[in-house]
Amino acid sequence: MTDQRTMAYINLHAVLGTIPYLCELDDNAKDLIKNENLSVGFAVKGGPCGTLVFEDGKCRFIRGCESCKIKLPFSSPEKFNGMIDGTVTPIPSRGFTKIGFLLKKFMPLTDILSSYLRADEEALKDPVFFEKSTKLMLHLIASAVAQIGNVDRVGRASASYISDGTVKLEIGDDIAIGLVAKNHKLAALHRAPKSFTSYMRFEDIRLARALFDGKVNAVACVGEGKIRVGGMISQVDNVNRILDRVALYLA
Amino acid sequence: MRKINTYDKSREAFARAMKVIPSGIYGHQGPAEGCYTPVEAFPFFSSRAQGTYLWDLDGNRFIDYMCAYGPNILGYHDPDVDAAAAEQRAIADCTTLPSTKMIEFAELLVDTVACADWAFFAKNGNDVTTLAVMAARAYTHRKKIVFFRGYYHGVAPWTQKIDYPGVIEEDVMHNIYVNWNDIEALKQVFHENRGQIAAVIGQPYMHGNFMDNELPAKGFWQAVRKLCTDNGTVLVIDDVRAGFRLDLAGSDHYFGFEADLICFCKALANGYNVSALCGKEFLKNTVSGMSYTGSYWLSAVPFAAGIACINKMRAMDLPKLLIEKGTRLKDGLVAAAEKYGFDLRVTGVPSLFYLRIADDPTLMLHQEWVAECVKRGVFFTNHHNHFINAALTDEDIKETVEIADEAFSVVRDRRS
Repeated sequence: MTDQRTMAYINLHAVLGTIPYLCELDDNAKDLIKNENLSVGFAVKGGPCGTLVFEDGKCRFIRGCESCKIKLPFSSPEKFNGMIDGTVTPIPSRGFTKIGFLLKKFMPLTDILSSYLRADEEALKDPVFFEKSTKLMLHLIASAVAQIGNVDRVGRASASYISDGTVKLEIGDDIAIGLVAKNHKLAALHRAPKSFTSYMRFEDIRLARALFDGKVNAVACVGEGKIRVGGMISQVDNVNRILDRVALYLA
Repeated sequence: MRKINTYDKSREAFARAMKVIPSGIYGHQGPAEGCYTPVEAFPFFSSRAQGTYLWDLDGNRFIDYMCAYGPNILGYHDPDVDAAAAEQRAIADCTTLPSTKMIEFAELLVDTVACADWAFFAKNGNDVTTLAVMAARAYTHRKKIVFFRGYYHGVAPWTQKIDYPGVIEEDVMHNIYVNWNDIEALKQVFHENRGQIAAVIGQPYMHGNFMDNELPAKGFWQAVRKLCTDNGTVLVIDDVRAGFRLDLAGSDHYFGFEADLICFCKALANGYNVSALCGKEFLKNTVSGMSYTGSYWLSAVPFAAGIACINKMRAMDLPKLLIEKGTRLKDGLVAAAEKYGFDLRVTGVPSLFYLRIADDPTLMLHQEWVAECVKRGVFFTNHHNHFINAALTDEDIKETVEIADEAFSVVRDRRS
């Protein structure tokens, strides 16, 4: 039902791709990268390739890894996924002298990320932590939907029914992101889109969280008015089908 | 300005339903699949129905253009159909041995439907589309089925898509999809799958959701028919939705070709629970040998209702009447839209019309207008074709156009 290649795309673009937003939201993450000017590239044979760039106290994710300072090659998607799971230790092919960054900065960053993305119930009782965790989850999910829609066989079937346009996913009045569809290829937009062709609006952050955690169903919530959908509803409908597969990959 | 509906009792009922029924109201009549946008504009539960009207729990009356999603073709509680059903109910309904009403109903269908040499009865459209595909596979000993994109043939796994919950790859691995009206693509599919295609299944014209409905291009169905005949493939027409609103002899007859198998349900018995697969003689033996039945499929009351319904439709020359009513409504709605500068597209056959305001490709303007109509007592839905029934009067059409006019006015003022 899932495949390693899609998982690798999700791990790179969605999981590691959330680190830039972590560095905006979390003070400890900010501190870890504040004086760093480095880039870490991940090159997966038969899979994705991307770089996390750390400079001027900020982090960004770019496609490709030609100019990265530390390069981590992986012989297969399985090996890369193993690194994310902690069962494979990567060996850099470039930037041996900067390995300390990986151990002292990058690994702690991923630990902080895990604390938000796999948060325990106790931690989620803190409303500030809860909000940050849910925002990061939204970024993760948006990217994961895009990757599944582009790579996963079943996800591609869903994407084939999504017409060109932008789906706005919003939580209350303050949080919004977009999913842009063009020629049945999806891309995550990590900010509120200026214009959109359809929308899915969650009543509040707790409901969004419950949906992400699989505790409520979107169809039921639409009837209750807790989730509002509008515009080209077929776009939302098919994004929802891909959302179901996000849970399958990230469970 | 007209009264604006409120739905407090519908909402209370929905809250009750949510506790004991998955999603409260499931399927096409549920608020999510029904695309009730915004949800506040729509009632959820009915209290009664009569003729072309539906009343919700809060006492709001609607001119109902969904007609229970098709079954209401003569008007809710048609006296002749109800009388025939009541008479049969007093005799027998669900019994160990079937009633001869079943034979009478089959004889009537064979006499009415152009391509029918026999009839097989079930309960829902899905029952007979599934039987049609199974029969095609049994007859041809082939696996593959060709669909036209935008189709709806029910909810059995083979009719769904690979990304639907509960559907596995094996359920749909022999499905082939081609674009509607694209005969060259269909020829290519036949070329690439020579000797493997059991059936082509299609609705008589493209009345999918979220898109303007599209009639068959000139010669399209005739070319499909020839391809099927030349390749030993069974041609199945799913007339569940359109059946009897275009032509009592079948929608294939309306478009000038002959199906091998044709599926009916919705309008077959004006709301009584029966569906039918009709077919040509050469498939009768195959269907005779199939293991296919259900607990209530041979019940006599729906047969009696169906007989009365078809006889009345024949007496009224009903499709012509419904198309005339639909055309009057269409003309009125388009004129009301033009008055406020909106481009309302009404597509499909007028007895089965689809609405879309083309000024806003996101459809949000359309959803806004539909909501204003519903709040004032005209039951449209956003992205499904609508249905005309025989009880709709000119006065109802006039009232509908007046409400549509007011809704356009509200939407224009809000957006200006």
